[in-house]
Amino acid sequence: MFGKVLVANRGEIAVRIVRALRESRISSVAVFSDADRGALHVRLADEAEHIGPAPSTESYLRVDRIIEAAKKHGAEAIHPGYGFLSENADFAAACAGAGIVFIGPNPESIRRLGSKTAARILAKQAGAPVVPGSEEPAANIRRARALASEIGYPVLLKAAAGGGGKGVRRVNAENELESAIRDASSEAERAFHNSEIYIEKLIEKPRHIEIQIAGDHYGNLVHLGERECSLQRRYQKIVEECPSPFVARHPEMRAAMGEAALKVARAAGYDNLGTVEFLSDNQGNFYFLEVNTRLQVEHPVTELVTGYDLVQLQLHIAAGEALPFTQKDVAWRGWAMECRVGAEDPDNEFLPSPGKIEQLREPSGPGVRLDSGVYPGWTVPLEYDALLAKLVTWGPDRGAAIQRLRRSLAEYSITGIQTNIGFFLEILDDPQFQAGEISTEFIPDFIARRKPAAEPPPELDVAVALAALSHFQEARKHAARASKVDAGRWLTEGRGQLLR
Amino acid sequence: MKWQVAVDGRTIQIDSEQLASVIQVEPGVYSVILNGASYEIRLIETSLGLSAEAAGRRFAVEIRDPRDSSRGSRAALGSGRQNVAAPMPGKVVRVLVNVGDAVDAGQGLVVVEAMKMQNEMKAARPGRVIEIRAQAGQTVGAGDTLVVLE
Repeated sequence: MFGKVLVANRGEIAVRIVRALRESRISSVAVFSDADRGALHVRLADEAEHIGPAPSTESYLRVDRIIEAAKKHGAEAIHPGYGFLSENADFAAACAGAGIVFIGPNPESIRRLGSKTAARILAKQAGAPVVPGSEEPAANIRRARALASEIGYPVLLKAAAGGGGKGVRRVNAENELESAIRDASSEAERAFHNSEIYIEKLIEKPRHIEIQIAGDHYGNLVHLGERECSLQRRYQKIVEECPSPFVARHPEMRAAMGEAALKVARAAGYDNLGTVEFLSDNQGNFYFLEVNTRLQVEHPVTELVTGYDLVQLQLHIAAGEALPFTQKDVAWRGWAMECRVGAEDPDNEFLPSPGKIEQLREPSGPGVRLDSGVYPGWTVPLEYDALLAKLVTWGPDRGAAIQRLRRSLAEYSITGIQTNIGFFLEILDDPQFQAGEISTEFIPDFIARRKPAAEPPPELDVAVALAALSHFQEARKHAARASKVDAGRWLTEGRGQLLR
Repeated sequence: MKWQVAVDGRTIQIDSEQLASVIQVEPGVYSVILNGASYEIRLIETSLGLSAEAAGRRFAVEIRDPRDSSRGSRAALGSGRQNVAAPMPGKVVRVLVNVGDAVDAGQGLVVVEAMKMQNEMKAARPGRVIEIRAQAGQTVGAGDTLVVLE
């Protein structure tokens, strides 16, 4: 096993990885930009190295500086987390070139799966079902028009190098195509330095169901079941759960999707943890979407239900150990659900809300796990994504997991910035959500039918007024005391002057 | 002494004696027990004044000092000119309109990027663009005017 590992990431995931390292008695090296000098991951790590200015292109995306930091600190391996360089095959290769272990799959399988078009072809050849769509990027608008009309509207535009919803557009009809292509490719260019866009058939009201896979260097490959991540806004997942309520009603789907995922993994020579994403229609047909060749944001729901620590598993596999279990050992117990708590304002079109966290009360208690990257007094930077923390609960069944999530969201309080905590409480109270009737269209639909908050009960107004008045008098007392001290200083100073 | 506190514009009368039901439990965090019910209220001072958080809700609070009766109500919003401002700090990605353009309510004016998301600043009412203060590539602060409509 490694003695020291560098964590090439920030925020909650860097904290998550530092924790796993400490549990394995491995020293951790954090890296940070100018904006993150005081970040939680830096405070928690054993060692830390500055890697550049706040923009991620000059810090967290700088392969040279990260490898240099690893060498300087004597780290034997680098964990890339998710986002940033985690799916960058050149980075994985550069690590190998520098004699450092990249904690993730081999660069060749990242390359095979990294381009969505290439991954689609590979999946199709391996025998996994795919959504009808273009097999090459749309090189120009004329080609795009031909491809889209061949596939049939509505279609979806996607960045070839994409992830996280960047460069994705729905196109209902041909007259929307040109401007959508322009927007999607400029967004893709900015996000990934690759403006290639491909086109696929849009499946109405699909569910997003993904399979967690794990492979080692000895050809062993297993799947750890599914996660349903249908609740998305602007193609960003916001609530995830394991199992999928749909798969729970159609139990044969888990084995079928697991088998399809493993076919793709085998064809790609996959040898670490990864996620194979599928879209499913309401008939239970599922289609390969893409592979995320890294640890997933929502990995904790799988951890709570299977009992495996996925980050520890990544470390052991990267260190050359064989998978410590086989497919028949994998069992699923109970239900887990996650909310991605972010600095955004649900009452103002979800606009980002960077800024200083004034007060923080974090939930705890039975069945609650909080993977957070923030603390009171921390200024959430505007340069990075809005994720603050992931609140995850476990219960013996879906209803119990939901009740625990409601309870812990109500305990959770963050002041100074806007967050989506209250929005999650509204979702969890929605009968359609509680019945598991969800799709990727659930959130936009929910926002459209969302009711304005009811007037607070009059007693709450009185309590707020009392607290505010108390606070006001407290502040006034402090001000009076401070001015007395000041007056004292002025007098002393004045007397000093007179004596001169 | 009697106080008036405006909570989201609703006026609440408070008698000084009632303050016995409040204690400060952490800096800025108050516990209130009212008719046997327990509340926790968090208060922070923002650039817009005092703000409270309780039971997952936010409240704008204004204390009216009984010794200071001069305070009047805030000026009403102007109806002629419309300043479209950045609601958060970020970077201007694109300006979608030109001076002189007629715009509809809800039409996108400027795209601002913050926290990896692009957000379209929209016109609240129909109007005409009379001034553009935002430039692509420029960094803007919360409250900075981007476009002025008439």
